[in-house]
Amino acid sequence: MLLSSVIIVLREVLEAAMLLCILLAMSRFMKLRMRWFYISLAAGVAGAVAYGNHLAAISDLFDGAGQELLDAGLQIAIYLLLLAILPLMIINHHRGSYRPALLQCAMLAAVALAVLREGAEIYVYLSAFRYQPQLFSGVLTGALLGVGIGFSIGALCYYLLLGLPRRYTLLATCVLLTLVGAGMCAQAAQMLIQVDWLPAQAPLWDTSALLPEESLPGQLLYALLSYEASPTPIEVAFYSVSLALMVLLLGITHYACRPSCEELSRARAKQA
Amino acid sequence: MYSEINRYARRVLRILLVAMAVCGAGYPEVTLEIRDHLFIPSELVVPANTKVKLVVYNRDPTPEEFESYELNREKVIVGGQRAIIFIGPLAPGEYLFFGEFNPKTAQGKVIAR
Repeated sequence: MLLSSVIIVLREVLEAAMLLCILLAMSRFMKLRMRWFYISLAAGVAGAVAYGNHLAAISDLFDGAGQELLDAGLQIAIYLLLLAILPLMIINHHRGSYRPALLQCAMLAAVALAVLREGAEIYVYLSAFRYQPQLFSGVLTGALLGVGIGFSIGALCYYLLLGLPRRYTLLATCVLLTLVGAGMCAQAAQMLIQVDWLPAQAPLWDTSALLPEESLPGQLLYALLSYEASPTPIEVAFYSVSLALMVLLLGITHYACRPSCEELSRARAKQA
Repeated sequence: MYSEINRYARRVLRILLVAMAVCGAGYPEVTLEIRDHLFIPSELVVPANTKVKLVVYNRDPTPEEFESYELNREKVIVGGQRAIIFIGPLAPGEYLFFGEFNPKTAQGKVIAR
């Protein structure tokens, strides 16, 4: 019981912890205030408890498709927030402080939604042990271990990002979050396929022999990049389109904001 | 008069049936139960290359998560609730599924033929 609760909680925590730690590292990097972190964690946990308590009613909405639709909606919402966060980061980096409050609010919302999504499942899992009090302490220990391991991996990621040479930090963050965002869109597509809102298809490829999803590297890759061993064409299309949209937007922002040669030479003249 | 109403009712019924078949009620349906953290039956035979409507009843008071890496499905089912999960179209073969909240006991497989 202990081990399975460690695994369940770790799987859920890891996805939210990655997003949280990457955004936290970026607010440190951009010298934004860090207080938003507590607010979004608290909001996310409150949302998770509310979602968990009403899961039965939510699941029954839309002919039993409520749970999947809400989950897909949350994932798409996080992707849309990332679509605002990343360009704002680039502008902030190149042009100094530009709408920091907007950037912070978007980060707050993204983290809160991610915590809500993953936290609800942990809450539902733990609430099952109301009926088996003799197992509860073991499960709780496992859950705390899972949370601990998840956030340790997140902390590792945080320090790795901040430990990179400054000129690579923003690039690494953009690459990571672009992949995370595209993965979320692919997961949203899968949820919609599950309830028949999108057509089901045969998988486009199957890499489960090479890298099984249930293996440890598979689980890590799933948590970080939504690794899917046998995606259908619609999932691949969702992934590609959201990836391309983000890359295009970041490219345009970078091109429009990079310091022009004139500004650079002026800055150099000022220094000399 | 009575026969006219009867004929009319029958026509409405026929249209309703056709509409239901068109609206997805036409998928073959397979039922699965969760009882004492076990899947009953633990082996489900479904037609291959066809989309199937899987109806899962959780008869336990505790929640369970239906999860399958091979079917790419995951869904939390609260205690006492009924859930619908569409699977397939599947190539002939066996596809494992399990209950994530009780992975040691809740195990089963879908066999597509």
